Amino acid sequence: MKLYLYGIIDSSDQITESIYGLESAGVYSIPFCDIGAVVSEISQPIRDATEGAVSEHEAVVEKLMVNFTVLPVRFRTIIDSRDGLLSMMQAHYKDFKDNLGRLHNKLEFGIKVIWPSDKIKGRMINTYKKSSEKLSVSNDSSNKRFMRDKFEKYKLDEEFEKKANKFINVMDIFFSKFAAEKKLGKLKSENLLLDAVYLVEKDNQDNFKEAFEHIKSAHKGFKFLFSGPWPVYNFVILPKKSGLLINSGQEDLFDKVIQHRDFVGANKT
Amino acid sequence: MNSVVVKSKEVTLLEILDRVLDKGVVISGDMVISVADVDLIYLGLKVLLSSVETIEKLRGSPFVGPM
Repeated sequence: MKLYLYGIIDSSDQITESIYGLESAGVYSIPFCDIGAVVSEISQPIRDATEGAVSEHEAVVEKLMVNFTVLPVRFRTIIDSRDGLLSMMQAHYKDFKDNLGRLHNKLEFGIKVIWPSDKIKGRMINTYKKSSEKLSVSNDSSNKRFMRDKFEKYKLDEEFEKKANKFINVMDIFFSKFAAEKKLGKLKSENLLLDAVYLVEKDNQDNFKEAFEHIKSAHKGFKFLFSGPWPVYNFVILPKKSGLLINSGQEDLFDKVIQHRDFVGANKT
Repeated sequence: MNSVVVKSKEVTLLEILDRVLDKGVVISGDMVISVADVDLIYLGLKVLLSSVETIEKLRGSPFVGPM
């Protein structure tokens, strides 16, 4: 029987609560020194990332969060044996301990902010046109017009980014007051102004939510998505050494998707 | 079913997918028989859907806060 791994916890105690994971198997902890690896037995590899399986994985990690500090392990990690698991725990014990200490009593929150980029750009274009009309000369050559248009576009893009940074800085000042760590994704698309995750002390979560409500009410034209508390998926820091990695990140993700798309495309032709 | 509830559930699912499939500790090595990789077709679809902006365009109405 193989072991499906959900997370690493900061205790070698057995889980007293009845938790059921994938294949409705009972979840238990395999202790190593003063930490534990939380697993359930699984009969076959998981071929698809179905909504049900992903939700079950997440549900187990969230239940563990109630009583433990948890380093969540990525979906579909299956270890071949108890001995294999213990040797992995031994090899990475210090890394796990460091993270469990750093992330103790902390939670992750996600914030996404969408701004009306088309309206903002529209206003900027109008303002710019009014000022540039005064300067423009009707008998400009086509070359001059081309250069002027290019320059205008450059100036507008620059101005757009400045405006975005200004909004993000104001919001981030509020959120950061109650956060221990953060990761900010700025302007992932023109409309997605901010895609951020914050690491927040459990005792500070109400203050953090209040800061969010404050920012939300102060930006009426924007849309906000608040999510959490989550397990600390985005904040485990592990060395990228053999056998253990953390957060391949969006670049890797897109690379994989692009590789896959190219592969599919190649098959079609 | 209440459409607001459906929307909220879908947004939550996307947030879960973003984390469970793409974040968290990745362990690899001889002892791991199922590398913590993801199904690329599924992932490709979810990358398209995981942007809240996209959800908004598909749904055409706000999920949190006024616009």
